[in-house]
Amino acid sequence: MSHLVIDNVSKSFGELPVLRGCSLSVEKGSVLTLLGPSGCGKTTLLRTIAGFITPDAGRIVVQGNDISDMPPNRREVGYVFQNYALFPHLTIAANVAYGLKVRRTSRAEVARRVEDALRLVDLSTFADRYPAQLSGGQQQRVAIARSLVLEPSVLLLDEPFNALDARLRLTMQIELRKLIQRVGITSIFVTHDQMEAMTLSDTVAVMHKGVVEQFGSPLDIYDRPRTAYVANFIGRANVIPGEVANGHFDDPARIATQAPAGPAVLVVRPENVTVEPATAGDAAPGWPGTVTFTTALGPTVEYEIDCGWPEPLRAIAPRSPGRPQAGPGDRVVARIADPAAAVVLRRQDGAHVH
Amino acid sequence: MSTEALRPPPSRPLSPRRGAWMRPLVGGGLWPAVPAVAYLLVFMVLPIGTLLLFGFVTIERGRIVGDSFTLEPMLRALSDPLVWRLMWRSFWVAAASTVLCLLLAYPVAFAYGSLRGVWRTLLLVAIVSPLLTSALVRTYAWLVILGGRRGILNQSLIWLGVIDEPLRILNTDWAVLIGMTQIHLPFMILPLLAVLSERDRRLEEASLNLGASRTATFFKVIVPMSIPAIFAGLALVFAVSYTNFIIPQLLGGGNYSTLAVQVYEQTIVVLDWTRGAVLATLLLSTCFLFVLAIVSLGSRLSRWNEVRR
Ligand SMILES: Nc1ncnc2c1ncn2[C@@H]1O[C@H](COP(=O)(O)OP(=O)(O)OP(=O)(O)O)[C@@H](O)[C@H]1O
Ligand SMILES: [Mg+2]
Repeated sequence: MSHLVIDNVSKSFGELPVLRGCSLSVEKGSVLTLLGPSGCGKTTLLRTIAGFITPDAGRIVVQGNDISDMPPNRREVGYVFQNYALFPHLTIAANVAYGLKVRRTSRAEVARRVEDALRLVDLSTFADRYPAQLSGGQQQRVAIARSLVLEPSVLLLDEPFNALDARLRLTMQIELRKLIQRVGITSIFVTHDQMEAMTLSDTVAVMHKGVVEQFGSPLDIYDRPRTAYVANFIGRANVIPGEVANGHFDDPARIATQAPAGPAVLVVRPENVTVEPATAGDAAPGWPGTVTFTTALGPTVEYEIDCGWPEPLRAIAPRSPGRPQAGPGDRVVARIADPAAAVVLRRQDGAHVH
Repeated sequence: MSTEALRPPPSRPLSPRRGAWMRPLVGGGLWPAVPAVAYLLVFMVLPIGTLLLFGFVTIERGRIVGDSFTLEPMLRALSDPLVWRLMWRSFWVAAASTVLCLLLAYPVAFAYGSLRGVWRTLLLVAIVSPLLTSALVRTYAWLVILGGRRGILNQSLIWLGVIDEPLRILNTDWAVLIGMTQIHLPFMILPLLAVLSERDRRLEEASLNLGASRTATFFKVIVPMSIPAIFAGLALVFAVSYTNFIIPQLLGGGNYSTLAVQVYEQTIVVLDWTRGAVLATLLLSTCFLFVLAIVSLGSRLSRWNEVRR
């Protein structure tokens, strides 16, 4: 039994359905990342778990107990707010001590734990300041410390690092990850940053318009996206329209697939596309096209190739100074390097095809 | 580099003690207030100053006797135990009614924040409507309600069987307290309303999330955050209650008097302008001191507010 189970949770605000049958489960002490575009319902889902929103349908289960009807102050679910929500009338130390004092922890212990928590987020010297005297990133760290100091069994973090600079972000990610492992906190992060999702989490859930589109390990989602939307949200992907017939995608590479016959899309990562100059009498199947744009990034070069589809085909190839490189206007043939790594998906009406 | 150098500088003190009064002028913050200040100087400070001056000069047949500055009337008033009794009554009636106002106003302002749409508008209209009728009319209405045997209150209570004999409320401290509290209630509700209805609900959610009960959240988050509004209301209501003379005069009865009532009687009825002006000086200066005390207690309790950006 997973530590935290979200079972078929739905929520509408008036006519607007914001969560539509979301189901997730998180193992004890592991980290789940919620990824999704702005407005897809990530914050709403976290608020439902914390108890600020009552779902219209579905259950929230922690350690086998249904907590759906429990008031928020009894849930022991830490929440780091997207806008920090620090108490402006309390100093940083008092903000962090708030939850401990409410629990009638002894004075000495409050002092000790607050000090530890502030040291963890590197804000010991700011203990006596007020939140308004701190930068956004510092406030964010106070918000994290304020929840962590209570060592909750479940911790929800709504974009906890978005105000931090790259270096501090990395340090905080690592420190938080260590702490979560040590204490065994089951946590859910919300993030827009796909790199953060890959580095931080054991599992990733990709949300789209209130639905969990895919839920699995980061690499699983990267390698086997279930929808074109997921493929494009996690990393970049070429989504090539076509047809499936006789167990094959109707395309030069004729990739075998289990997908049923009918309209389909082929999802190919740019790094799985090779680019070669078009030469007469070339037998191997490929997509002929014209290079429209190149970006050299040091170790790799990125091509945009017009193959007659609405969207250009993207390819990433290794680059080295000695090697000849196609330029804009060149006729080339693009091929799939590893057919096994390409994914064929049924084309659904309304599915996003880029 | 030593680690000492890496430390952030210590927190800056919340209120810079020196030169602070100059700052609003330097920053241009006060300039927009200049027209209002000029207006007040000409049409309020000047007439009041003139009036107060009457307490320190000799007046003969409606004319100031030139060069006759005297402290005698003021010293006489200060050594008069009656004046001290009046001042004490003015103070405690105003203080009690101010506290009552706060206790009644806070729940109303709090409820306003959770109402929506047409109910919110209706409540707002109900709150401000007393301000649309004259205080005199409202005070007379209380006369009808509280008045003797045939007052509405006593008749209802007797009819309901709660009491046998009519309560003697009119012409007591109670009547003054009741009237004053009702009439000044909007002055307490309005500042609270603005702050409580615009408050950030996420702070309450954060408090609940950290394990505090709703009651604890109310006293540890909502009330502290509304301290500035609470004290604004306290100062306002205390000032208008302390200086009101209509309510004590009408609801307290003929023998009931406060400092404000005496100022009125001396200047309008007895026509002893010197004594009236002396009492007015005492009324204004003590009122100013009390309000100052309220305001400075309020800002001490909300020093965090100074750092808000
Ligand atoms: N209290 C509310 N009343 C009405 N609509 C709401 C409410 N809260 C959220 N919504 C709507 O629900 C949808 C999802 O909002 P939510 O805050 O969960 O998005 P999000 O995924 O967290 O986005 P972001 O990444 O921008 O924070 C949005 O369309 C929003 O307008
Ligand atoms: Mg959000």
